[in-house]
Amino acid sequence: MMRSSALSLALGYVALGIVALVLFAAPLWYAWHVTIQEGRAEILQADAQRLTDTYRREGAAGLKAFIDARVGMQIAGERILLLTDASLHPLAGNLATWPASVPIVPGNYTIQVEIANQGNATALVHVAMVGPYNLLVGRYNTIFAPLETRFWYGLGAAVAVLSIAGLLIGLITRRALMSRIYSIRQTVSAIMHGDLQHRLPMQPHDDELNTLSRTINGMLEQIELLVHGVRNVSNSIAHDLRTPLAELRSRLEELALIRPPPEQAFAEIDGAVADVDRVIRIFDALLRLAEIDAGMRRSGFVALDAADLAANAVEFYAPAAELRNIDLALQAEGPVWVSGDPVLLAQALSNLIDNALKYAPRNGAIQVAVRKRGDGSAEISVSDNGPGIADAEKSKVVERFYRGDASRGTPGVGLGLSLVLAVAKLHGSALSLSDRHPGLTVAMTLPLEPSGPAVHALPDGPPGAGIIGPASLVAQVRVAGSGPASLVS
Amino acid sequence: MKVLLVEDNERVTQFVVKGLQEAGHTTDHAGNGREGMFLAASEPYDVIIMDRMLPGGIDGLAIIEVLRKAGKRTPILILSALSEVDDRIRGLRSGGDDYLTKPFAFGELLARVDALHRRAQSIDVETPLIVGDLHMDPLTRKVTRGARPIQLQPREFKLLEYLMRHAGQVVTRTMLLENVWDYHFDPQTNVVDVHISKLRQKIDAEFERPLLRTVRNAGYTLTADDSFR
Repeated sequence: MMRSSALSLALGYVALGIVALVLFAAPLWYAWHVTIQEGRAEILQADAQRLTDTYRREGAAGLKAFIDARVGMQIAGERILLLTDASLHPLAGNLATWPASVPIVPGNYTIQVEIANQGNATALVHVAMVGPYNLLVGRYNTIFAPLETRFWYGLGAAVAVLSIAGLLIGLITRRALMSRIYSIRQTVSAIMHGDLQHRLPMQPHDDELNTLSRTINGMLEQIELLVHGVRNVSNSIAHDLRTPLAELRSRLEELALIRPPPEQAFAEIDGAVADVDRVIRIFDALLRLAEIDAGMRRSGFVALDAADLAANAVEFYAPAAELRNIDLALQAEGPVWVSGDPVLLAQALSNLIDNALKYAPRNGAIQVAVRKRGDGSAEISVSDNGPGIADAEKSKVVERFYRGDASRGTPGVGLGLSLVLAVAKLHGSALSLSDRHPGLTVAMTLPLEPSGPAVHALPDGPPGAGIIGPASLVAQVRVAGSGPASLVS
Repeated sequence: MKVLLVEDNERVTQFVVKGLQEAGHTTDHAGNGREGMFLAASEPYDVIIMDRMLPGGIDGLAIIEVLRKAGKRTPILILSALSEVDDRIRGLRSGGDDYLTKPFAFGELLARVDALHRRAQSIDVETPLIVGDLHMDPLTRKVTRGARPIQLQPREFKLLEYLMRHAGQVVTRTMLLENVWDYHFDPQTNVVDVHISKLRQKIDAEFERPLLRTVRNAGYTLTADDSFR
C-alpha cells in the first residue's frame, strides 16, 4: 500500500488529540490529589485535637471510654483509632498493634494497613502525643479508589474513542479521496490518449479538489481551443490554398507546354506572380488569425482613443467612399479611452469599413460610431444600408472562408469577418450583427480605460499631426529608435 | 551605394544581389552570422540587409544589438520569415530600422533600401522640399506648384511630404501605409491608389508635366525627371 497522506494526517491528529487530553488531565489529576490529601490531613488533625481535648477534660480513662465508644459506633474499616502507652502497648482503638512503618513522631503518614477480610488498603494516619500516650488517628483511602478508577477509565475511553474515530475518519477520507483521484486519473489518461473532450468530474459542493478540478478544466478548455484552432487553420490552409495553387500550377504548366511568344509569356508570368501574392495574402491572414486566437497578442494592449482610431479609419477610407458616392460618416465624441491592441483594432475596423463599402449600394451611407455605454464599456459599430445578412447566414459569415451569396464576384479571401470576430474575442467582446432594414450593423464592445492614457498621445493636436490613433507599439518603437520615418527621412 | 547582405539562403541571395546590381549598387554577401558580424563591423556600408535566422551560431538580431552597442549607425533592414507583430516589434527594438517579411517582392526591398539610405543622409526636417516646380515648406505647411498655391488636407500633406522626401525613389503601397497612416497590415483594397489619385488631381491635373507617376508592379514615384523609367 502506498503511503496515504489522508491516513497519516488522521493519525497525526489522533496523536495530537491524545497529547492534548493528557496535558488537560495531568494537572487536573495532580490538583485533585493534592487538595483531597490536604483536606483529609486537616480532618485527621481536627480529630486528634478533639481527642486531645477529651483527654485534658476527662483524663486517660475518659479518652479511652470515648475512643471505645467511637470505635463501637463506627462502620468498621473506615476509620483507624489507636491509643497506646509510651511503650506502644495498645490501650484502646481498633488496631491490634502500632504499625511498624509509623514513627512515633507527630505528623502525617501514608501507610499500608491490613484489614481483616479486605486485604491491604492505603490509609492516611496522623500521629499525636497526648500526655504520656501515643495517639494514632487515620482514615482509609478506599472510598476514593472507585473515583480514581473511574477517572482512569474515563481517560482511557476518551483516548480509545479519539483513536478509533480518527482512524475511521482517516480511512473514509482516504477512500473518498482515492475514488475522486481515481476518476481524475481516468479522465487525464483518456485525455493523454488524445480524447480532448473529456473534463474532470465536478462535485455539487465546492471544496479544494473541486476548485482544482475547475482550474484544470479551464486549462483543458483552452488547450482544446488551441488544438482546435491549429486543426482548423491546417484544414483551411489545405482547403483554400489548394485552389489558387492549382491555378498557379496549371498556368505555369501551360506556359512550359505552349511556349508562347515573349509578350504573352511575360503577361502570364505577371499573372503567376499575382497568384503567388494571393496565396501569400491568404497565408498571412490565416497566421494572423491563429496568432490572435492563441491570445498571444494580449501583450500588445495599451490605452488608446477609440474615437481617434475610428476617425483615422474613416479618413483613410473617405476617398474610396467618395469614389462610389457613398456617404461615410463618423459619430464619435472623443476621446473615448479604451484598453486594446491598436494594430489589431485598426485592422478590424478597417475590415468592417471595407466590408460595408463592398455591400453598400451606390449613393448609400455608412456610419462608423463610437460611443460610451452605461456599463463601463465602449461600443464601436459600423452600419451600412446594403442588403444586410439573412438571419440564417449570420452565424456563418464569421466562419473562416465563408463568402455569402451577395459577395460572389467581389474581391477578398473570406477571412475579413472572422478576423474581426477573433479581434473582438481577444478583447473579451462578442460581435453583434443586427439588421437595420435595410442594411447591417456590426458592433463590438471594448472595456473603457478609466485612467486614460499612461503617456499622453496629444489627443487635442491637429488631425494627422500628432501621434494618432494607432499609435501602435511599432510606432512607439520607432520613436524610441530613430524617430518616425516621415520626420527624419 | 554599398550594401551588405547577410543571408544564408542561396536563391534569395542570388535574387537580391542580382537585383541590387542592376539597380547600380555594389553588394557584399555573408552566408552566416559570424562572417556577417565581421563584415558589418569592419567595412563601411550604406545599408545592411540582415536575415534574422542565420547559421553560424549568431542570430541576426544579436548582430544588430552588438553593432548598435558598438556605436555603428548604419541603417539596417531586417529580412525575416517571422511575420507576427511581436516578432516585428522585437526586430525593431533590437536596433533594426525597417522590417520586411519573406516572401517579398524585389521592388519592395529595393524601395525600402533606398528609403533607408536616403533617411540616413538627410535628417533635416525644416528645409523646404522641392521637386521640379513643386515646393513644400514643412514649417508653414504651404505647398505651391509654380506660382499656384495648393490646398491639402492634413493627411494629403503627410502623403505628399513623404513622397517628396523620397523624390526620385520608388515608394511602395506598404511603405505609404506604414509611414503615412501608421497601418501595419494589408487592408486588401486599393485605398492607397485612391488617395494617390486624389493627390494627383491636386498637384498634377492642371499642369503639363506630371510629377507623380505609377511604377508598375511596385508603387509610385514623385520625380521631375522625364526620363525616369
